[in-house]
Amino acid sequence: MKKWLLAALALSLVLMFPACAKKAAKVEPVQGPAVEQVEEPTAKVEKPVLSEEELFQQKSLEELNKDQVLKKINFDFDMYTIREDMKPILQANANWLLKFPSVEVLVEGHCDERGTIEYNIALGEKRAEAARNYLVSLGMTPAKVKIISYGKSKPLVQGVDEATYFQNRRAEFVITKK
Amino acid sequence: MTMRRATFPIAVLLLALALPAQEEITIRIREGMPMIPVALPAFQLDAAARGSAEAAAVYETLWQDLEFSRIFKMVPREHYAYIPAFKPDAIRFKDWASIQANILISGQLELAADDRLIFSFKVYEVAGERFIFGRNFGGKKDLARLIAHRAADEMLKHFGEKPLFTSKIAYVHESGSDRDIYLMDYDGQRPTRITFSSALDMLPSWSADNEKILYTSYRNLSPELFMFDLYSGRTQLVSSGGSNYAADWSPAGDRIVYTSSKHGNSEIYLRDMKTGQEKRLTFNPAIDTSPCWSPSGREIAFTSQRGGTPQIYIMDAEGSNVRRITLEGSYHDSPAWSPDGMRLAFVSRIENRFDIYVYNLKNNEIRKLTENAGRNENPSWSPDGRHLVFSSNRSGRYQLYLVDYDGRNVRPLTRDGENKMPKWQKPSR
Repeated sequence: MKKWLLAALALSLVLMFPACAKKAAKVEPVQGPAVEQVEEPTAKVEKPVLSEEELFQQKSLEELNKDQVLKKINFDFDMYTIREDMKPILQANANWLLKFPSVEVLVEGHCDERGTIEYNIALGEKRAEAARNYLVSLGMTPAKVKIISYGKSKPLVQGVDEATYFQNRRAEFVITKK
Repeated sequence: MTMRRATFPIAVLLLALALPAQEEITIRIREGMPMIPVALPAFQLDAAARGSAEAAAVYETLWQDLEFSRIFKMVPREHYAYIPAFKPDAIRFKDWASIQANILISGQLELAADDRLIFSFKVYEVAGERFIFGRNFGGKKDLARLIAHRAADEMLKHFGEKPLFTSKIAYVHESGSDRDIYLMDYDGQRPTRITFSSALDMLPSWSADNEKILYTSYRNLSPELFMFDLYSGRTQLVSSGGSNYAADWSPAGDRIVYTSSKHGNSEIYLRDMKTGQEKRLTFNPAIDTSPCWSPSGREIAFTSQRGGTPQIYIMDAEGSNVRRITLEGSYHDSPAWSPDGMRLAFVSRIENRFDIYVYNLKNNEIRKLTENAGRNENPSWSPDGRHLVFSSNRSGRYQLYLVDYDGRNVRPLTRDGENKMPKWQKPSR
């Protein structure tokens, strides 16, 4: 009996509701809680730049050579004198080499494709020797700089223009021991 | 017949050389001499040889050899059709005379059961209607070309010439990054690899007896001079330290000259191959390289940059009496002394073109052998002095070419990969 009474009461409440809803439309919308910013404090730590010494320790011979820590120099046609604009490169190479006295280096002399095989072996050797002598004059230990000539048998780039030839007339510095 | 006189007029003037009389001159260059017309009718073939590749190879190789010789001239095959067919047992000499043949070769070829090829040939003088000489050669059938070369060499010998067609050319073949020494027949056929290192092998050079090859290899990470024995297959180190290259064996076979920077600078060294004793022949801070013996063994031609630019010089074999040969032009190298001792071939750069020139030591005449076609390098004389082999990049990549001593008959020898630094075998002693 009580149940029926409750149900009838609830029904009557529901039937009354539309009148109430009209009044509720004027109610201001309820403000939600403020958004709280979640943050993690970031530490001001950056990946440390390795010193030259640390890089040297870390890298293998192959990596050092691949990264060209020693830059190559170029020569004039048929010449083996060190060009003025190549001297700063040799100076930079020498600076690096003097920092790491354990390093031994092989200077490779190369020629462009013009000229004969035989003469170019001799010319490439003269270029390697000139580069070696320059490094020695800057303080390198002679015994730590070896030379080899490949003549024209190992061009760096292929082509038949002066820009190509210039790139191929070169001395390269290969680190053989660190 | 038009003879292309490629005498080079301006660029290279030469020193008049007072050369001592050279009794070693035995090869007659038949310049201007008419070539001997030869007829080579089809061979008589046994049943097994008929239609075989070997029979065709012997015939074609013999024909090409004789045609190449500059001694013989082949009567065109079409002319044979004008006369009755050749019968070896009943030769009608008058018919062969009528198509201008002076020499007639009758060949017979058998392919025996054990894969052996037997080639017999008889040589007749047409005008005299007489048999001159004949030979029989036998060998494994895969040696068909060699059998023909032997027969062609017999022809040369019989006519007072030195054998040529069994001679080999050593050279460097490059495929990918690998460069090794190979040998091939004079006509570019039958290449054989003789070095197998993964490093650079280069600049092969024959011993006086043609049994050994000197060459430079980077196999131990520096250019060292090695000697390979073609018969024992053994390789031995000859010289190391610095760069060691451009070796040439003395005609007597006892000594070599070569370039080495073992004491710092590129100098020419003389080495006794029996005792191993060495003597340094050049002493100056410039580049000295590319030594090459005169056939008499008394002199050495070489390249030196002592005057500022690379020029050709000649010195006595003891290193004294140095005189400069090339006076003009700014770049000369790779001197090669002809087997008769009368000519020097070399490479010159004139107006940035690299061509091969031949300098006649007797009359100081210069002849340009190659004409403005790519870079032409490393000339080397045939044992009979009538031909040269050289490398050229005229077709794009470096390949080997043959040319006659007068600049005629330029023909390609190689096609695959890249091929360079040819050295023709030395004259047989």
